Amino acid sequence: MPGMNSGLNPNDPTVVAAFKSALIHQGIIALLIFGLLSLAWVSIREWSLGTRSGAGRQARQAEPEPQWRQLLRIGFGILWIFDGVLQAQPAMAVGLPSQVIEPTAASSPAWVQHLVNWAGTTWSYHPIQAGAAAVWIQAGIGIWLLVAARGPLSRLAGLASAGWGLIVWVFGESFGGIFAPGLTWLFGAPGAAAVYCVAGILVALPERPGVSARLRRWMLPAIGLFLLGMAVLQAWPGRGFWQGTFHGQPGTLAGMVQSMAVTSQPSALSALVSSFGSLVRAHGLAVNLVAVLVMALAGIIFLTRRPQLARSAVIVLTAFCLADWVLVEDLGFFGGLGTDPNSMIPMALLVIAGYLALTQAPAPAEVQADPVAAPAPASLASWRDRLRPAALRQSAAASSARTMASVGAIGLIVLGAVPMVAAQASPQASTILAQSIAGSTAPLDAPAPPFSLTDQHGRPVSLASLRGRAVLLTFLDPVCVTDCPLEAQEVRQAGALLGAQAARHVALVAINLNPSYNSTGYLQAFDRQERLTQVPNWHYLTGSPEQLRQVYKRYGVASQTLPAGSMLGHSDVAFVLDPAGRMRTELDFDPGPGTAATKSSFAAELASAVSKVLKQS
Amino acid sequence: MRTERKAALAVFVAVLITGCGSRVATQPQPPAAPRPALSLSTALATSAAAWATIPMGAPAGANLFWELFRIPAGGSRWALVTPPDVATNGALVLATQGGQSLAAGVRPSLHLIFSPVTGTSDGGQAWTSRPPHRGLANSPDALAAGPAGRLMALGSNGEADVNSRGGAGWAKLTSARALATTAAGRACRLTALSAASYTPAGDPLLGGSCVRPGVTGIFAYRDGSWHQAGPALPGALAGRPQQVLRLSSAGTSNLALLQAGQGPGASLVAAWTTDGGKHWAQSPPLALNGAHPVSTAFSRSGSAAVTLSNGHAETTTGPTARWRALPALPAGRSLTLAFPPTGGLDALAGDGSELTVWRLRSHPVSWVKAQAMKVPIQYGSSS
Repeated sequence: MPGMNSGLNPNDPTVVAAFKSALIHQGIIALLIFGLLSLAWVSIREWSLGTRSGAGRQARQAEPEPQWRQLLRIGFGILWIFDGVLQAQPAMAVGLPSQVIEPTAASSPAWVQHLVNWAGTTWSYHPIQAGAAAVWIQAGIGIWLLVAARGPLSRLAGLASAGWGLIVWVFGESFGGIFAPGLTWLFGAPGAAAVYCVAGILVALPERPGVSARLRRWMLPAIGLFLLGMAVLQAWPGRGFWQGTFHGQPGTLAGMVQSMAVTSQPSALSALVSSFGSLVRAHGLAVNLVAVLVMALAGIIFLTRRPQLARSAVIVLTAFCLADWVLVEDLGFFGGLGTDPNSMIPMALLVIAGYLALTQAPAPAEVQADPVAAPAPASLASWRDRLRPAALRQSAAASSARTMASVGAIGLIVLGAVPMVAAQASPQASTILAQSIAGSTAPLDAPAPPFSLTDQHGRPVSLASLRGRAVLLTFLDPVCVTDCPLEAQEVRQAGALLGAQAARHVALVAINLNPSYNSTGYLQAFDRQERLTQVPNWHYLTGSPEQLRQVYKRYGVASQTLPAGSMLGHSDVAFVLDPAGRMRTELDFDPGPGTAATKSSFAAELASAVSKVLKQS
Repeated sequence: MRTERKAALAVFVAVLITGCGSRVATQPQPPAAPRPALSLSTALATSAAAWATIPMGAPAGANLFWELFRIPAGGSRWALVTPPDVATNGALVLATQGGQSLAAGVRPSLHLIFSPVTGTSDGGQAWTSRPPHRGLANSPDALAAGPAGRLMALGSNGEADVNSRGGAGWAKLTSARALATTAAGRACRLTALSAASYTPAGDPLLGGSCVRPGVTGIFAYRDGSWHQAGPALPGALAGRPQQVLRLSSAGTSNLALLQAGQGPGASLVAAWTTDGGKHWAQSPPLALNGAHPVSTAFSRSGSAAVTLSNGHAETTTGPTARWRALPALPAGRSLTLAFPPTGGLDALAGDGSELTVWRLRSHPVSWVKAQAMKVPIQYGSSS
């Protein structure tokens, strides 16, 4: 019934079950990928060792990975895996676009909202595939970073991390909120994903001595410069950070903390964050002063590049980051829709890596023994030679376990991305949305009750006159302000999906659901409103109030007068009749919030039901 | 300065600009002052009943519903008679031809972009739909009822359309643009149409806004053409641009509410005619002192009442009678004044689902609570 806003619930059991099912299926495939790769690698390796029994093991020169790079690679690898696990939360498939992405963009300029909402809509068309893709892509990047320690594969992992981080930063974090008011480092600016991007780029940089030397010199000062900028922003007058309260309302920081305290989380954490919120309300100036001083002093010290001072500053700043992570960012991942642990942990990793880069001298090269003889230098062979089965076999046999795990991680990313890309190739939304809003279709097999009415042009139309065509039949109120216009759009879209050829075999029929507004003038006005005048197989039927009420009764459709300026209360139902005039399917048809995705989903479900009847007849 | 330091300084400045710039860019800009529109909260009266419409429920959005109330001649209590089976979120526009009859148009709202129209001839017990209009204008006089059940509608597209009883649709009568090109329209430099009515003889009357000072934009359609039919305002008001705020029929006369000038110096004048605009009687001007009219009501005998944006209310009983200040208005989120057929003046105050009727007592002059009613609003029915 209208009035019951049946918006898509993020915890809807239909969607959650489908999401879990997709994750389990893809998880099994992921295990198979790793299992088959391991099997193939061990087999090829054993066979190669056997056939090349005389081949000696060749030692190769290898320089140990700098500690700062190792920290970033492993730290962000773990973070990506953790983020991937968070993406597997049940509410994520439906909840992410509507309750995270779009609200995050709400305070940004219109062009940011437009861009972000486009992405949110794209996600919401295929929430299961999009949600699962995010899980596997992030888990894949994380594993890849963890296992690929050196060489091109490791640098590629850094690039993948930076690339996906950029996507998350733009579409998931609305550019980290840098275009929105209230920007503060304490609350996550310029976005956790931006830090992931920077770390990814650092991991992806070429391992040349010149590059490493410049990095060692500049990483920490660059962080210092950033912190100084953030300190100035934090101290800027008029932004509300110096006040605990403002005209009786919480100041900017106190408001942020209090908003976090009310999210769903363990009570102990909520109490801790609430207490800190009270402290900020009472001593806003002092809290902001501490924050500004820590940021500014750390920034200045980092710019000086003095290792002793920098060490103390790193310790203090890391402690500050951890405190902020708990007390202001509220750990970031609770509430059922947390996508990451926010910015402070990545920031602390970056700061420590910067310190390590500044202080750790490059280690001397070591001689590493590779268990398998290396193939001939790749540069000497053409790519065709390298793709020959023998060369591939040799290359696989020579690969380390880390390399094979990297290939498996890439497979994981592909596993997530391919179904998502394939789903996006279809302009129609997944029917899971319609099913979760209105339930599954109900199969029927009974003669359709007859009717004899007039169409929008005043011509008589009866059920018998439609014999020989499949009929998509629904009931619409021409003066309805909410769901009927949406349902009409869904029927129109379903007709378009069935195609021009099918139009000759399908009739799109609606019966007027409002006996008080039963003239053809109202049907025509509705058709103009919903752009149905150009749909050749569209029939909007009406009759006298008595005739209409008889039809409602026969089809079990409710039409009820509600008082005090309300529109008519009515059922939202559609039937699919076969060409012989038998009812084959009944669909609950309440469009709920009526987003582009839900409209498209209902249209796909209707078209699918009609196609099925056409095929059977 | 070393290159590295220059680069560092540049990055530092860039960070600052990014941070500060983002804040400056999102500072809320003061909104442009909107031109105050007359509320569609209004009341009209016939010999048999008085009708009033006010918004109730939520302050805005899908849970705001316009309700219609009626009090019969000889009755003392208002009753809810909102037309059924149509959502009134967009507002009701009323017109009467007298007696127990009333036509009600529903302004577009939410997904509905045209205007359902309905009518009653038995005081709101039974309603019969009339052909839908493409979209009624946001004006209390966007609908007018004429003899033999004819209706005239002002559209939000600036056109005036007519529908005869039994007619299947609306036919275009004229438009603001077309009327502006006639001799009468050129004489006033018409910019927009704001009100429609019928003369007692059944001729269409249209009111609008004129750019040329001193000319009242009221036009009568007689003998196949449009004629200037507005009053000439006296004295200092004659040199000011004028707007027709209301144009209504009341018994055997037409009543217009005119605003002369704009801003703090604007004044309000009520004008009456019984011969289709050939001769007018006028009230003394009412200085608005920077306020603007919010809600208006007319009685069948020619009385007019107006509430102002400064919380004051004024009434006049007819030509030559002075404007009389009313006691402080009762509280209520929405409010309109109404003249019951038996005389006196009521104030209908709506707040959520509660309607309170206040009646003006003469001695001492004050509002006394006469009725309270719970309106069964179906919250969520348009969501």
